[in-house]
Parts: sequence; C-alpha cells; structure tokens
Amino acid sequence: MLTILKSGIQTCIQDLGRIGFRHLGVSQSGVLDPLAAKCANILLNNPQNTPVLEITVGLCRFKFEKPTNFAITGADLCAELSGQKLTAGWRYHANAGDILTFATSKTGLRAYFAVQNGFSSLRPIMNSYSTDIQAEFGGLTGTALEDGDLLDYPSHSALSPIGAALPEYTESLRVILGPHLDILPKDNQQSLLEQLWRVLPQSNRMGVRLSNDLDLTHNKSVASQGVSPGTIQLPPNGEPIVLLNDCQTTGGYPIIAQVIDADLRHLSQLSAGQACRFVAVDRAEALHAQIKQSQHLAQLEIAVQHHNKKNS
Amino acid sequence: MTNNKTYILGERALVLEITQDTLSQYQQKKIFALHAWMRAQRVFIDIVPAKTTITGYLMHSQDPEYWLAKLQDAWENIEPEAYEPTIHTIITHYGKHHGPDLQSVANLTGLTESQVVELHSECKYQVKFLGFLPGFAYLGDLNPQLHLPRLDSPRTHVPRGSVAIAQDLTAVYPSESPGGWRLIGRTDTILFDHNLDSPSILQPGDIVKFVPSTEGIC
Repeated sequence: MLTILKSGIQTCIQDLGRIGFRHLGVSQSGVLDPLAAKCANILLNNPQNTPVLEITVGLCRFKFEKPTNFAITGADLCAELSGQKLTAGWRYHANAGDILTFATSKTGLRAYFAVQNGFSSLRPIMNSYSTDIQAEFGGLTGTALEDGDLLDYPSHSALSPIGAALPEYTESLRVILGPHLDILPKDNQQSLLEQLWRVLPQSNRMGVRLSNDLDLTHNKSVASQGVSPGTIQLPPNGEPIVLLNDCQTTGGYPIIAQVIDADLRHLSQLSAGQACRFVAVDRAEALHAQIKQSQHLAQLEIAVQHHNKKNS
Repeated sequence: MTNNKTYILGERALVLEITQDTLSQYQQKKIFALHAWMRAQRVFIDIVPAKTTITGYLMHSQDPEYWLAKLQDAWENIEPEAYEPTIHTIITHYGKHHGPDLQSVANLTGLTESQVVELHSECKYQVKFLGFLPGFAYLGDLNPQLHLPRLDSPRTHVPRGSVAIAQDLTAVYPSESPGGWRLIGRTDTILFDHNLDSPSILQPGDIVKFVPSTEGIC
C-alpha cells in the first residue's frame, strides 16, 4: 500500500488519457506532460500508459507500506525519501515504512510519480484510469486523492538507480495558426506572436488563461466546434485560453492557434504569474518535433534495458 | 449544396464546416452519415460533430492532407439515407419543483404552463451533438414560441435529470452541474453511466421524444 498521508494541493491519478469518447462529451483527461509520465514508466520497465500520480504544486506526503521501486519526473518539487533529497528524472527504491515528501518549487508546477508495475487497486473507466475531476469518475474515486487514501501496488526488491535527463521546459510554445485568427486586425495578429503572455491564477487542468497589455477584445462569435488540448481560444475579453486535458469537447470561442503536440508538456509547468510566448511553425516542424520526442523515448527505453541487463 | 470548407486544425484535427448559421435537415443527416463513414475508415481516434462542423482527430499526423481530401470527397458523395437513427422516449415530470422555471417560461412567452408542456412534448427532437458535460445532448429544434435566452445568472447547482431549454434547443442535464438553461421538468431516466461500455444513451443523430408523466401537472 501507498498511504496518502497528505494529498497536497492536487494529486490525481492519470494515464495518457481517455480517447474515443469525445463525441459523447467526455474529456480527454490524462497527464499534462506525457513525456514525463512515459519517462517515469520507462525507468521502471512499465508500459508507457501505466497510470502515475500527477502532483500539482506539491506539499504532499506518502508512506510506502511495502518495498518497491519508484520514479519521479517532471518539475523538481524538492522531493525527499525519508529525509534524503531526490532528483527528478531518477528511479529509486523505497523500503516499507519510507516516507516520500514533495515540498514545492518557484519554477516548476507539476511532478510525476510512478511505481514499478503500477497501482493494482484501480479500475479502468472507458478504457482509461485517468481521473476526470469535472465529471467525477476514473482514478480511485473520481476525485483528486485525499488524505488517508490507499493505493495498492506489488512489492519489489531493489533495482539499481538510473536516471534520465528530459528535454528542458521552455516558455516558448510552438503553435500552428488557427482558423479564426483573421478576426483580429493584421498588426494584432503579429503582436499576439511577438509579445510575452502572463499566466493568470484562474488557470487549471481545463486551461491556462493568459493576459498582457495587448487589447485583443472583440465581439466575434463562432458556432461551437470540436476543441482539444492545445487549442487556443480567444474569448471576447481578449484574454487567450490555452485549453488543456480537462477541457470540454466543444467550444464556441474563436480559435486563433493550436499548440503543437510536442510542446503541450511545457504548459504543465506554467503557474500563475509566469510567462510564455507563441512561435508560429508549420506542420512539417510539428511532425519533426514529435518524431524527435519519440526517438528520445526509444533511446531511453534501450538505455534502461541495457542498464538492467548489465546490473541484473 | 456544397457551401462547405475543410481545413486542418493543428496537426491532426480535420474539420469540415458548413458555412451557414444552421444546417438544413438534409445537411444534418449528411453529417451523421459522414460520421459513420469516418468511423469506418479507422484512422480517427475521435470524431466530434458540433453545430455546423464535424471534426475528426487522426491517430497519426503523417498524412492529414490526404485524409482531408478524402473527407471532402466523402461529403460530396455521401447519401443522407445512409444514416438510421435510434429513437428514445424520455418520461418527464414537468413543473413544480421538477421544473422551477416552467412558470416564468409561461409568463415570458405569454403561454399557459400546459401550453409550454404541450409545445415541448409534442415534437420529436434530434441529437445535434453532445458536449459541455459527458452525455449532455443538444436537442433541436425547439418550437420557436419557446425560444428564450439563457438565464442572466446561471444556477450553481442544476439537479441531475433536469429537462431544460435555451434559445432553439432543449436538453437533459445528465449529471448535477452548474447551468444557465431554463428548467421546465425532470426525468428519472439515467442518461449517462460511466460504468457502461456504451456510457451515453444518447448518440449524435438519435431521435428523442419527451412524454409528460401521468402524475404531472397537466
């Protein structure tokens, strides 16, 4: 068992998301940083879609009731195992009774925590273990984890430590321009891409809300259409919303751009007050970025297998 | 009939849009037939019909232009008859605590409460699309005499099963949620159960008929 002694601001069970049900109004959910979650799972020889804990802000404390190996990736939220400092991007062994704590960080927002072979006490809903916090299903009980929650996992003896560097998080988000950008005057279209945007406190897993001094207010509406994580909507108040995994399946605000899949992970780390900018790219570059990420994961998988063989 | 456009949104989303405010019944049926065609291609992980669009999310982003051309071609050649809807009956308790806005809807439309119920329950509705909440189906078209804007201030809690109207649409809240539609009744029918393989009773294109419960006010 993993006992959630303190659940923190928001700790929830997520896998790579719920697909195939958007036409019924079911959100995708899933980890905001798939690369970090896949990396944590690869370090533990788990299938890449194994559910992990997504820890937002931190300030949480877990107790291992059985020995196992675990990995932490994503932002460095100053994790410690029974008082010993841990490094993000590494796999570790925990003994029964060990306490894992996450403090917090000024620069990062979300960390990922995975155990070897995953949690065994979960039941998939619509082919996914992801917690849909809005609709209240999935995960353990359909909500973020609460103090006292228990997650079972199989015991494992120690694997040797191994770590992997993930590509850095950046404030620049590559986007493909969207179908309704022309509702804005030409010079505003340009400024949208040149200026820095500040993250507003109302941001959450549904979307990151942005603001700056630029006046992009408008009175255009569009018929509601399919939207997905990465879609950048511009409501009439002129403050863009970058939709994230818990977003609704359709939206009626003009779509000015779409963040490329490979850069969605950067949004997982943007907390209130931080800045980001958009850089327009074409589909060829988006595809290239995606292939680069797949190669990164494939290389990591080979390296971990090699390391395991050498140390077994 | 081909006042439509197709485009790629981001890397993998293919959008077919009918450039009109509302769809004709012929176009609406063609959209549902196209939905079925898209499913049969097995290249889309998700297909989302909406008001005047249908969006298909490709599994891979290698060749969106090829599929966009196929989609446009399919739209031009598809027969609306290729689509056969399922019909649902939803027993509804109108008014009183079940439909706290029935009286104000009657006042605002200059009708009696029974006339509102009659107008709401006499016609068949089509599931245009789902969204907002899992299982929340946008049903049209509502009788023009019942067209009213959303409430100025949305309720923080709308009970599950509430039957509501807004503008030219009606809907049933599949779960408790905040909401700004006008509540005229309530049903005991479970519309969405996340434990089922097919979690939503209503699918895009289905036909819905509201039937007043016999212990209702009418």
